[in-house]
Amino acid sequence: MKAFANYHPAVLLVYFISVLGTVIFVSNPVLQITALLGGILFSLMLQKRSEIPGNIGFYTALFLMAAILNPMFSHNGVTPLFFLNGNPVTYEAIIRGIAIAVMIVGFLLWCKCYSEIMTSDKFLYLFGKAIPRFSLILAMILRFVPMFKRRWHSVKRAQKAMGFYSTKSYVDRIRNGIRVFSAMIAWTFENTLETSLSMKARGYGIKGRTNFTLFRFYAHDAGILNVCVLLAALTAVGSVVGEITFYYYPRITQLSLSPFAICVYVAFGALSFLPFFIEVKEALVWKYCVSKI
Amino acid sequence: MEILRIENLSFQYPQAEKKAVDGVSLAINSGEFVVVCGESGCGKTTLLKLLKKELSPVGEKSGSILYKGIPQEELDKRTSASEIGYVLQNPDNQLVTDKVWHELAFGLENLGVPTEIIRRRVGEMASYFGIQDWFRKKTDELSGGQKQLLNLAAVMVMQPKILILDEPTSQLDPIAASDFIATLQKLNRELGLTIILVEHRLEEVFPVANKILLMDQGKILLYDAPRELGQELRNIRSDHHMLLGLPSAVRIYNALNICDECPLTVKEGRDFLEKHFHEPDEQAVPAEYVHSDSIAVELEKVWFRYEKDLPDILRGTTLKVYQGEFYCILGGNGTGKTTTLNVVSGLNKAYRGKVLIDGKPIKSYKGNSLYRNNLAFLPQNPQTVFIKDSVREDFTEVLAGLDVPKSQRSERIQGVAERIGITHLLDKNPYDLSGGEQQKCAIAKILLLKPKIFLMDEPTKGLDAYSKHTLQCILEDLKREGITIIMVTHDVEFAAENADRCALFFDGEILSADIPTKFFSENNFYTTAANRMARQLWPSAVTCSQVVACCQEQVAQS
Repeated sequence: MKAFANYHPAVLLVYFISVLGTVIFVSNPVLQITALLGGILFSLMLQKRSEIPGNIGFYTALFLMAAILNPMFSHNGVTPLFFLNGNPVTYEAIIRGIAIAVMIVGFLLWCKCYSEIMTSDKFLYLFGKAIPRFSLILAMILRFVPMFKRRWHSVKRAQKAMGFYSTKSYVDRIRNGIRVFSAMIAWTFENTLETSLSMKARGYGIKGRTNFTLFRFYAHDAGILNVCVLLAALTAVGSVVGEITFYYYPRITQLSLSPFAICVYVAFGALSFLPFFIEVKEALVWKYCVSKI
Repeated sequence: MEILRIENLSFQYPQAEKKAVDGVSLAINSGEFVVVCGESGCGKTTLLKLLKKELSPVGEKSGSILYKGIPQEELDKRTSASEIGYVLQNPDNQLVTDKVWHELAFGLENLGVPTEIIRRRVGEMASYFGIQDWFRKKTDELSGGQKQLLNLAAVMVMQPKILILDEPTSQLDPIAASDFIATLQKLNRELGLTIILVEHRLEEVFPVANKILLMDQGKILLYDAPRELGQELRNIRSDHHMLLGLPSAVRIYNALNICDECPLTVKEGRDFLEKHFHEPDEQAVPAEYVHSDSIAVELEKVWFRYEKDLPDILRGTTLKVYQGEFYCILGGNGTGKTTTLNVVSGLNKAYRGKVLIDGKPIKSYKGNSLYRNNLAFLPQNPQTVFIKDSVREDFTEVLAGLDVPKSQRSERIQGVAERIGITHLLDKNPYDLSGGEQQKCAIAKILLLKPKIFLMDEPTKGLDAYSKHTLQCILEDLKREGITIIMVTHDVEFAAENADRCALFFDGEILSADIPTKFFSENNFYTTAANRMARQLWPSAVTCSQVVACCQEQVAQS
């Protein structure tokens, strides 16, 4: 499932901001449920099969906990159903609890999708332009960390094979860890000297450095960006105008079903399921192409 | 056209007693392939660094360097950065960024080249070097050979006119190294690129170079075309360290006093030998191999894999090393040679089969007892052995760990240091030492543990010929003391000269183990250059000195 991830990072960023923004700021149940369903579908597409059962368990548990906690602690609302330890448990609080659970799980699922799709290089590309040095430094850190780990491992093995640093006591282990670490610092320092030579040799420090990237903004990126902005704008206008405002306390408001409100629901629905649509479209196109070949 | 001219160049590091580069004058023409050689510390790296303005070390410099007739000081920054390319020794440390494509673009980014042009040039370079398959990979996932190729490509993308390389293959295995040299040759031949290469693996570069620059103590000893150089070398005293590092053909030629052209390659060497010598009437029969009866290390049908889902690395490996034997394991890359050593050293645990150390199962050694006066392991990178700021501190720590009383410590350190010849290095920082020096100090540290079995993983990697010779002497000394040595190596020449028995590791198994003369004479490809030259006449002569001895014997008879 790669079709959506292949769009330009800027498009992806706008997309995630609009969905996550709506999930956080608009408390309309239709939008929240749509977002949750969209999030479930999207994360199912991104995940490995083996991870799915575990994740379903985790998010169900999270959902139940969030849903139960609210009516236990919040006693707002006008319709008490029963009393627990002398406190009223209200109908509104239960519904609000479920709504919070929908929001939290939806939010987390979308964040998960975000981290899967917005990899470090995309992030770098977007924010590197604002701070050119920052992007290079980040790239160097990303290069450095796995190298450091590998060396750390080799030093530890070498010491172990000489019969050092291999005791079972925790105090010794920590002490030895610190020793190995300090040796690693010296080693690293030595190595960075060579890295800086290699940078200088290739003209680092000459004025007017540019930032190269593999990302390109294509026509289809512009198309999807337009769609995103349009749908997000519609949702935003709907919530700012108050057309889809929804309250749980003191009494649950009637869900607005005016034509405009329905427009907003449909718009946000389209936005939430956009990655899914794209994926399906891509799969169909592919299938069609393959059948022609 | 003359591209580089060095006039009377001298350089002295601050607080150094001697000049590192002393009165060097030479001219290099455009399109020439110049190989610089000399033992470590002869000033070749300093000379190379001086040629690249950005890398010039701090110190006292005199004389002049002219690039295309322009003095180095007046050279524009941009020109200097792009037209003089420099590749350093360590493949890992030179990489700056985390992605292959970013590394390729780094130099051009620095020059401020617009994105569209970078895209084209990077694409072109990646295609030329065959990088396209790993273009979007992380740099950390690459093999050593790929990393060094990437370093070369990242310099070439700036379209240099001169390429300077400082021992670029010293950290690579032989196959990756010869691929790298072949790429350099291609660059030189197809693009007319001027190349200045420091190298101590001369067997391959010697024949392809236009000129060889031989340096000794900061001075130019010889500077000539390889063939002429071979002749001129005769005038140098025969025990000169430099001679050890030359290609086998040149060494054999050099040792014999025959008036003819100097052979450079195996093919020429073979013709040379056949022209001047004939097959003996009787082949010498190698002496019967005598070994001790007790077995120091035994592996019996050992199976090992790193993770449950990964394929087996060792598949029923069986090995027997006798007490006091020098046993070499040879074989290709990633076949599991190092893993075998790790299993013997207890770092990796076999899931099937028996590992016996001194006749006892490895599991019966509790705690540190396996590593106390018993077995020691020198890893591939000797740097990993050191933890402290000075060699002496490191050694003291070992002795403290062994509960040696304080009064005896300095005496023992002194004893080992004298034996290995590192007394002058004791108070230095291990990281400041050269590869050869680090190796010696690491061996000394391990000797403090008084091992009976000594495991070594590629100890000759990155060593120049003279350091190898020193290592050889140290190992001979250890053997005399009855220490069993098991060595994993790619270095066919070193194995042939030193091992009691050699074994070929392939597909998770040890295929054949035999004394070097038999082992190598029965191999057609996996054998020494000297043997490939002489096998027609003397199949069992595997080292240069053996070939020379056979030749001299024939001369004496006639």
